Amino acid sequence: MSELSPKIDGIAEGQIEKESGPWRDAWRSFRKSKVAVVGMVVVVFFVLLAVFAPFIAPQGINDQNMADRLHPPSAEYWFGTDDFGRDILSRIIHGARISLAVGFFSVIGSVVVGSILGIVAGYYGRWVDIIISRIFDIMLAFPSILLAIAIVAVLGPSLQNALIAIATINVPNFGRLIRSKVLSIKEDEYITSAKAIGMKDVRILFSHILPNSMAPVIVQGTLAIATAILEAAALGFLGLGAQAPSPEWGKMLADSRDYLQSAPWTMIFPGLAIMLTVLGFNLMGDGLRDALDPKMKS
Amino acid sequence: MRKGKLWSLALIMLLVLSTALAACGDDGKKEGASNSGDSGKSGGKEKTLVFGRGGDSTSLDPSRVTEGETFKVTVNLFETLVNFGEEDTTIHPGLAKEWETSDDGLTYTFHLQEGVKFHDGSDFNADAVVANFARWAGGDAEMFPYYSSMFGGFNGDEEAVIESVTAEDENTVVFKLKRAQAPFLKNLAMSMFAISSPEAFAKGDDDYERNPVGTGPFKFVEWKPNDSITIEKNEDYWQEGLPKLDKVVFRSIPDNAARLNALTIGEIDLADGINPSDGEKIENDSNLQLFERPSMNVGYLGLTVTRPPFDKKEVRQAMNYAIDKQTIIDSFFEGRAEMAKNPMPSSISGYNDDIEEYEYNPEKAKELLKEAGLPDGFEMELWAMPVPRPYMPDGTKVAEVIQKNLADVGIKAKIVSYEWATYLDKASKGEADAFMLGWTGDNGDADNFLYVLLDEDNIGSNNYTYFKNEETHKLFLEAQTEVDEDKRNELYEKAQEILHDEAPWVPLAHSTPLLGGAADLTGFVPHPTGSDLLSNVDFK
Repeated sequence: MSELSPKIDGIAEGQIEKESGPWRDAWRSFRKSKVAVVGMVVVVFFVLLAVFAPFIAPQGINDQNMADRLHPPSAEYWFGTDDFGRDILSRIIHGARISLAVGFFSVIGSVVVGSILGIVAGYYGRWVDIIISRIFDIMLAFPSILLAIAIVAVLGPSLQNALIAIATINVPNFGRLIRSKVLSIKEDEYITSAKAIGMKDVRILFSHILPNSMAPVIVQGTLAIATAILEAAALGFLGLGAQAPSPEWGKMLADSRDYLQSAPWTMIFPGLAIMLTVLGFNLMGDGLRDALDPKMKS
Repeated sequence: MRKGKLWSLALIMLLVLSTALAACGDDGKKEGASNSGDSGKSGGKEKTLVFGRGGDSTSLDPSRVTEGETFKVTVNLFETLVNFGEEDTTIHPGLAKEWETSDDGLTYTFHLQEGVKFHDGSDFNADAVVANFARWAGGDAEMFPYYSSMFGGFNGDEEAVIESVTAEDENTVVFKLKRAQAPFLKNLAMSMFAISSPEAFAKGDDDYERNPVGTGPFKFVEWKPNDSITIEKNEDYWQEGLPKLDKVVFRSIPDNAARLNALTIGEIDLADGINPSDGEKIENDSNLQLFERPSMNVGYLGLTVTRPPFDKKEVRQAMNYAIDKQTIIDSFFEGRAEMAKNPMPSSISGYNDDIEEYEYNPEKAKELLKEAGLPDGFEMELWAMPVPRPYMPDGTKVAEVIQKNLADVGIKAKIVSYEWATYLDKASKGEADAFMLGWTGDNGDADNFLYVLLDEDNIGSNNYTYFKNEETHKLFLEAQTEVDEDKRNELYEKAQEILHDEAPWVPLAHSTPLLGGAADLTGFVPHPTGSDLLSNVDFK
């Protein structure tokens, strides 16, 4: 997704530094896009579900009730029950916690590591840049899910390791984004003047260059949460992510495969939950990109 | 306006996509149907049976392994001196047309079928039988793991049962035993002691594993690892009119749902490992028929007695009280299983029906844990098999029920799984706290369950729990040489009492494995050992 960066490169630096103006503009243009607002509403809805899961969910995640196994959706079980007689609605609500947490924290992880590497590569250039950029290239040469599977295979299957794997595979995306941004910013006059008055590298990097490179990262980050959720679900589906009895959505899908024909609700609802959150983050991310991209301003 | 265009574009895309997908579905069906039509119905053409199963064979030399997927193929390539009945484990003539036993049970004389040839053209005769037994007796446990389990040991071992095998004339073989062995004929009928062509295995064991040569109704054609094994009709087969099929392809389709799907669309003609939950669907489908394999297996949760806290008898008994077997059977076997209380199924003689099983009683389990000094429970790893097995259709699902049952009495279990070969290897080294496993009997004798699975002699091979008990060891060895059926059963009944009290296992279920076949398939009779002879199978 690094093709986003050239578009965003055009943001005038001053706009972002004075907080209120440009951000308010961005919010106004974000609001104009109905699709983006819908996306945001979906995201907020799932975030609320996740935060208040224990209060909302009618049952616990592992309340097995074998007498009612594979019960179709009804007044008692809105989304039906799975093959252990567990309430699917409750599991999906709790599952939102897992998926959003994986999405959010893995992206934070990749943003932090990616930013540091990207800034260092972009600012110092030369051999530092060559080494870091080549490492990114090598990582990007692998299909990302394959790399994630390999990492989990080494670390052992668990939710935490799945999170680490997803964070790792997304590092080069953010690293390259920041690096290209830094490359253009460091040629700007205010950086030259900062150097001229003898400011230290660290201070230039973190108080001038970093804040000015953040806009594309926010956009990319929102979109990356969506892919991270999908990747976590994929790993869960393959049995490499969350372990039983955790209500991870991908794992719920995998566990219900045998009942695709006889009890379709066991697959439909977790599938819908994945689809809606990913769609929500994607729509919101698109809206953010349009809002933060000056070229789109009319 | 732009939005309107976008919507109509999306609609068109959806329509195109759905037509394309619908077309795909149709194609698949037609192709599948015409395939099976070609192979099955038109009498003049080649009749090919495609047998879908859960896993690939590990070897095609049956004496080298103890694993059922191998025997499923080799039972059709090789023959044994004596055979099992079509659907039970009674003894019938095989390569030996008749035999005599001396009164002391120490000498067996076999008269062999005449005019039988191996697939490579060499003659089957008494010398070939001698050469096969010489090969096995000269090996070691690594080479021929099952030989020592069944016949006490190899050349020079003190406990070895067979003293000598000699060819009296061209078609007569004499076995001399050191001590009487009650299940001797049953052991000889097991697929792993099938007679190979001595010329073929002389070329080297590793080469032979991939190029098997027997006397059976089918000949080996090719083996694509993890995909398929193809065998074809042996035109010179000594039994007139058999086999009826021209070709059999064993295809590995690990996923149960995918295998059933392949059966429904006609890609395969016969499928084993049908999910119990799909049994009814097959019964109601006029294009398919359901087969029930006579149950001769046990699925269990093994407790490795060398690993604390399972070294304490109370803890092992507590596990037995904590697990709700009835729910497991109702939910994941769809009732197509019998609840297990002994390590072997009730159809086997020597079964002790007087044993009172541990009922589902979490309170009792907690009490026992308290007695063992673990009032707050403990943490453990619960190993679940990654693949469906005939005795356990869905290991990980059952493990989840057990996990919940254990949590109810305060035991925190973490479900662990490895790839199947690794799983067995690690479990046999005693690395699991508690592991799910099972066993399908290979000869229908109590010895093949109790001694093979729970005696100290088999630690490291099939006794995964490392359970050791002097009393049962004595009983097992005594029963092996006891020729009187009633006395023998008494010994086994006594052993089961001790095993019940010591509780190295939580016996779970004796399942009825299901198979599905195309409706026009005839002559297929599932065998309790899991190895099905296909020479009588035909298409209508």
